[in-house]
Amino acid sequence: MSERIWDRFLTERDKAVFAAAGFGALAAWGKRPALLIIDVNYAFCDEEPKPILESIKKWRTSCGEDAWDAIPVLQKLIAASRSKGIPVIYTTGTRRADNWDSGSWSWKSSRRGEAPVTEVSNRDGNDIVDEIAPGPQDIVVRKLKPSGFAGTPLQSYLQLLGCDSLIVTGTTTSGCVRATVLDAFSQNFRLTVVEDGCFDRSQASHAINLCDMHAKYANVRPSGEVLDYLEGLDAGMFELPSGQGMTSRIAAE
Amino acid sequence: MTPDRFEDHAWADVVPDDLIQIYAPYRRETFVGPSPALVMIDLYNLAYRGGPVPPVSLIDRYPSSCGLYAHRAIEPTKRLLAAARGAGIPVIYCTSDNRPMAAPSGGGATRRRKASAGERLPDDFEIWSDFAPQEGDIVIRKQRASIFQGTPLVSHLNLLGVRSLIVCGESTSGCVRSSCVDGYSAGLHVSLVEECSFDRHELVHKMNLFDLHHKYCDVMHVDEVVAHLSGSLVQAAAE
Repeated sequence: MSERIWDRFLTERDKAVFAAAGFGALAAWGKRPALLIIDVNYAFCDEEPKPILESIKKWRTSCGEDAWDAIPVLQKLIAASRSKGIPVIYTTGTRRADNWDSGSWSWKSSRRGEAPVTEVSNRDGNDIVDEIAPGPQDIVVRKLKPSGFAGTPLQSYLQLLGCDSLIVTGTTTSGCVRATVLDAFSQNFRLTVVEDGCFDRSQASHAINLCDMHAKYANVRPSGEVLDYLEGLDAGMFELPSGQGMTSRIAAE
Repeated sequence: MTPDRFEDHAWADVVPDDLIQIYAPYRRETFVGPSPALVMIDLYNLAYRGGPVPPVSLIDRYPSSCGLYAHRAIEPTKRLLAAARGAGIPVIYCTSDNRPMAAPSGGGATRRRKASAGERLPDDFEIWSDFAPQEGDIVIRKQRASIFQGTPLVSHLNLLGVRSLIVCGESTSGCVRSSCVDGYSAGLHVSLVEECSFDRHELVHKMNLFDLHHKYCDVMHVDEVVAHLSGSLVQAAAE
């Protein structure tokens, strides 16, 4: 992988600094991963692929067509993980109806005061898109803040499953993906970020955040390589949720 | 251990039959979990001050001491520590973070009146010499009751591949209890060693063991835990 997605955003000096400082070495993968899918819901994807400037008129956090480019990648990763009994963990948001708990989220968006999209859509923005709907044995973590770890039971689930590593996908690369990767790194989990399984509404932010994470915190790898890695793992390593009684998608969430 | 022996512990002489009946749904097999670490809670000098006498006789000079209960636990704790070292499992201590300017006034492990400067000794929070940490051990400095609260413990456990805790130390009602509950809440299997845990009063010790055993962790006898560590080949979690 000589040419990386972030190369065209870097100055010559940046490239020289990264090389000289020794960042971006490939770390060990870990032996007991979970697949983590961050916030691939309607608020970030829209109900269908639309040019982003069109899409954000309705869903102001939408990442437009880039989201839908990643979804087939996520489908492959999810299928591979389920076939091996690797834990598949989703995150998505949760909010009181009156939005009081948006807290700090309301400080930096001039469109935060808009009426909820639910008034013009039958989709809840926090619903995970149907194309990658959680299955009965998958796990859904509801969160309020960027990191999947902040104020959630995620850490305890990983401990209970005996995970030593995370394969991270989803959105936004610069926001919730990065925050979750940072917190996992701080807890000494091994990390892989799937380059084509992540997306952002900003192309430059996507590339530079992948660059930063690959330099310091995670192996940023293409999905083909991650699928090969998953293929090499033993099946049935984990005591997953039984899925009993989780007959509907609603129940799974 | 069979469920018949589930209530064969320190609280047997203080817990009435109706309470045992109410808690029947908690009965189960107890065990040491996979990939354990030994966690030694607050086994620092302050807990042993004044020697092996009833703590009530020490309340003026050494109000933090657990007196005879601390000293009674020394021999079994030495056995437990030796078994853990023999098995090669990680040994993790905690003690108070008493560094100057580390916390605002009012912070602390309990709401007890703070010792005045004249009452403190420089080695109050050093680990009791029988259990002195060795090269390769981990010592966590904490400001509150639980060893998890505001410390890097979880990151250390992940690095070591630890999935279960064997807990001992003091006080049963305070730092041991909160650490066991936080360990349970973090998804770890927790075994608490009865003879190696202590408090300032037997009633408090026994009822807190009772609560922890039924709800959050497996209270086990030191003989069982030592036999487990010596008999079974416990793989050191760290590579």
